[in-house]
Amino acid sequence: MSSGGEKAASGGGGSVKTPADFLKSIRGRPVVVKLNSGVDYRGILACLDGYMNIAMEQTEEYVNGQLKNKYGDAFIRGNNVLYISTSKRTLAEGA
Amino acid sequence: MSHNPSQLLPSELIDRCIGSKIWVIMKGDKELVGTLRGFDVYVNMVLEDVTEYEITAEGRRITKLDQILLNGNNIAILVPGGSPDPE
Repeated sequence: MSSGGEKAASGGGGSVKTPADFLKSIRGRPVVVKLNSGVDYRGILACLDGYMNIAMEQTEEYVNGQLKNKYGDAFIRGNNVLYISTSKRTLAEGA
Repeated sequence: MSHNPSQLLPSELIDRCIGSKIWVIMKGDKELVGTLRGFDVYVNMVLEDVTEYEITAEGRRITKLDQILLNGNNIAILVPGGSPDPE
């Protein structure tokens, strides 16, 4: 899965940001990674690839919004990843 | 057999949504609304100013996210224009 970057670029506008572009832009930044299970991992993104395999540093594991564990280094296999988000997050309970 | 000159590929439809709001309905009880920045052949998507809705037994949990790369694996439906729901 080499994230065929040019596929979506038919618009030609400068504002198009494909998944490949996103992966390039976020290395070294604080991120939130959510898995399909609903568990969140917050930390510094050390390294990642087109499979969404991820290596993170200073990782904190959140289950139901509560901190459960901390890891110095963590590898996440890409098939479990629901999304990778740049860090800026607020939580609220809706009706 | 009427041939349709305005035949549109599904990926072209998504391509037209780049820069505008889109409503993503996932497999399972999860939905996201955000501005589409781009996507690839697997329909992995880059979304901005995202609101995530998780429907749980206790109600709807809302999460705001700045910019995300959403894995295309669990995407079920895409609706251009965003959610009809008020926030």
